[in-house]
Amino acid sequence: MKHGPLLFLGVLSTVLASWLGAVVAPHFQIGNEEPVPIDELGINYPLDRPGDAKQGARVYRAQGCNYCHTQQVRQEPLLADLFLTDPGTNTTALRAALAVARPDLVAADATALPDPLPSPLLSHVSFTLADQAMRRLTNAGARVELTPANVSADIRRGWGVRRTVARDYLRDQPVMLGQVRFGPDLANLGARQTNAMRLLLKLYNARIEMPGSPMPRYPYLFEERKLRPGRAPSPEALGGFGFNPPPGIEIVPRPEALQLVAYLLSLKADTLFYEAYMPGAKPAVIPAPAGDTNAPPAPGPTP
Amino acid sequence: MSPVESSPPASPTPAPAAPPTPAPVDMVDRSCRWPVMILVALATGWLVTAGILAVLAAVKLHAPGMLANYAWLTYGRVQPAAWNAFVFGFASLAGLAMALWMTARLSGAPLRGGGYIILGGFVWHAGVKLGLLGILAGETTGFEGLELPPFTVPILLAGYLLIAPWTLLTFARRARPESYISQWHLIAALLVFPWVFVAGHLAVSYLPLRGVLQAAAQAWYLQNLHVLWLGFLGLAAVFYFVPKITGAAVPSRSLALFGFWTLTVFGGLAGMTRYSGGPFPAWMTSLAVVAGVLTLFPVYAVAVNLGSALRGQAARVRGSVVLWFIVFAWLAFVAGGVLAAVNSLASVREITQFTLFTPGLDQLTVLGVCGMALQGALYFIVPRLLGVPWPAPLLARLHFFLAAAAVLVLAVAFLAGGVAQGLALNNPDLGFIQVVGRYLPFAATGTLAHLLWLGGAALFAVNLILALVVCGRRAAQPAVRALWTPAPTEVEA
Repeated sequence: MKHGPLLFLGVLSTVLASWLGAVVAPHFQIGNEEPVPIDELGINYPLDRPGDAKQGARVYRAQGCNYCHTQQVRQEPLLADLFLTDPGTNTTALRAALAVARPDLVAADATALPDPLPSPLLSHVSFTLADQAMRRLTNAGARVELTPANVSADIRRGWGVRRTVARDYLRDQPVMLGQVRFGPDLANLGARQTNAMRLLLKLYNARIEMPGSPMPRYPYLFEERKLRPGRAPSPEALGGFGFNPPPGIEIVPRPEALQLVAYLLSLKADTLFYEAYMPGAKPAVIPAPAGDTNAPPAPGPTP
Repeated sequence: MSPVESSPPASPTPAPAAPPTPAPVDMVDRSCRWPVMILVALATGWLVTAGILAVLAAVKLHAPGMLANYAWLTYGRVQPAAWNAFVFGFASLAGLAMALWMTARLSGAPLRGGGYIILGGFVWHAGVKLGLLGILAGETTGFEGLELPPFTVPILLAGYLLIAPWTLLTFARRARPESYISQWHLIAALLVFPWVFVAGHLAVSYLPLRGVLQAAAQAWYLQNLHVLWLGFLGLAAVFYFVPKITGAAVPSRSLALFGFWTLTVFGGLAGMTRYSGGPFPAWMTSLAVVAGVLTLFPVYAVAVNLGSALRGQAARVRGSVVLWFIVFAWLAFVAGGVLAAVNSLASVREITQFTLFTPGLDQLTVLGVCGMALQGALYFIVPRLLGVPWPAPLLARLHFFLAAAAVLVLAVAFLAGGVAQGLALNNPDLGFIQVVGRYLPFAATGTLAHLLWLGGAALFAVNLILALVVCGRRAAQPAVRALWTPAPTEVEA
């Protein structure tokens, strides 16, 4: 081969370049991210998971849950709508502000102001543009409302209140983003599902609650115990939600099952901060009652 | 020669008269016999193992209650076990075997380092076996494609370093000064693999990067593994066997060179398509989109170049089972390349992301390009090394039809199912259990595909065992006969 060294160096430098571009460059950009202090809540987000939840992440990994469940909420570049709710009293300033945001409105009729209220000013524009117009109008004494225009299907399904960002995963090792959704997304499972018993039952047999579910059973995370007279049944034994163990037997979760559930309950990526701002979104401070991954979708964060 | 071939193979380009003279073909094959055949035998075992595991995983996807009581057989473990058994068990061992033989043949020099290669083959085999046991025991890393437990990485690397350098060392002693298109792909693949393999595992296990950067490294690793290792092994086979068996040279060397370099440059950068819209800086996925679309250039180059080489060769193709596999791999490469480029567009990805489309596209590369090309290569190599024709040529033909049907069924079902699943996922009015109803029939079709693939693999294994028996019997005959023939001294006495 006449160009042997060329081939050798060319291939190596190409792979090195793709490594630099795809891994090292992002590392310099976000590799030094630190948890962000959130003053209102008095926390550094993301919070570290409790010890049993950390153990549970290992159970999650060992069972390969990430082959069917993702942990990422998508929101394509955010578009916004802007509504004028109150023109205020300073008509001149308002008109000047409108001349920038909606020149066509003012040019058509110099005396006319948008009417009736709330009046749509901007629709499906980039979030930055809507934000600029909002500041300008607010400074002119008007009141406006900014709402997201393209809430993604993920968010409308109730899988989160905002998109997930790199900072959400700072404390995870390994980061199990997942690639296929044979099951629902779990990035915010802990925000919509707070009942540990329901999760345990789901792990024991997902079809009890959801006939037709393709989720595997994990009976080996549980122990079948014979009930003996004179011995109190275990307080942790599975029960409720329409589940009746065979007579004389109790199903008791092993530590792995409890750890896994602790991990699932700790899955929350709903804290709002500058990087993950979503107008109109409210983190689920009070969790939805008995939320269910298969339940009909929650209404989107509409105004 | 082999019964599978209707015509004696023609050399792609005649050897130059310049000294040193190339070693005769049978001498080269004799030097390859033991090391390459041992790698092939190990690879065949993994081919069948991977097939069984894949069937099991496919069944479990739609029948979750089956064998649910065994932790080591849960879907989340069997699925990665099947993938790793195929990629590291079959594809890598068979790819190395093909690389050794092909380098020796193209260099016109006997293969060197036979003993080291055999040792390396067993070390690699042990590494994969330990890795698979680790995966089934739940000791995975949690990254798709990087599941092998960290402790097996040095074992595999040691095995690799015992085998792969001998291609370069044999190449260094070559008797033919010119380079071949297939050689570029082989050498690039062999150079890239250890680097990608080690860098990927370092970034997620040994020196884990922070947060989502682990996933970025994983996407980079998977993309390079698919394109520059599995894809290049497949392309090396395609570029070697098409001219070899048809006797017609690849029309444009410069177009091939263009395709080779563009695929090397753009192929490795398109990895973040996997996580488009994910929790990463937006430029990362934009870069992947650009690279993904630019891979259309090499795909076009490969399509046109081999398309014109194969024009008017219908009779030759029809007569050679090897070419059936090779041409199928070529078509799968072109189809997969176009689909991957389309799939990197953000508007398409919005639908196909998180669906069966992703594994469908991956399987098209892994089974359709690499798997098919390597199986075809083995059908050519084995009879030449053993010196016996395939005992059951009919099984070879049947194998092709089963394997081709498997890839077609799998690709069509998963790609179409992916679109159906994506459309349902993007419609928040459908409850999730209804989404399940949309994709499950397509996912279940995977069972049929993997059963067909396993059937083909089993036929190959049977054929190989028969060939080994025939070869062994022939080798043993003189010795056995000598055992029963009275020694001349006794007759005289």
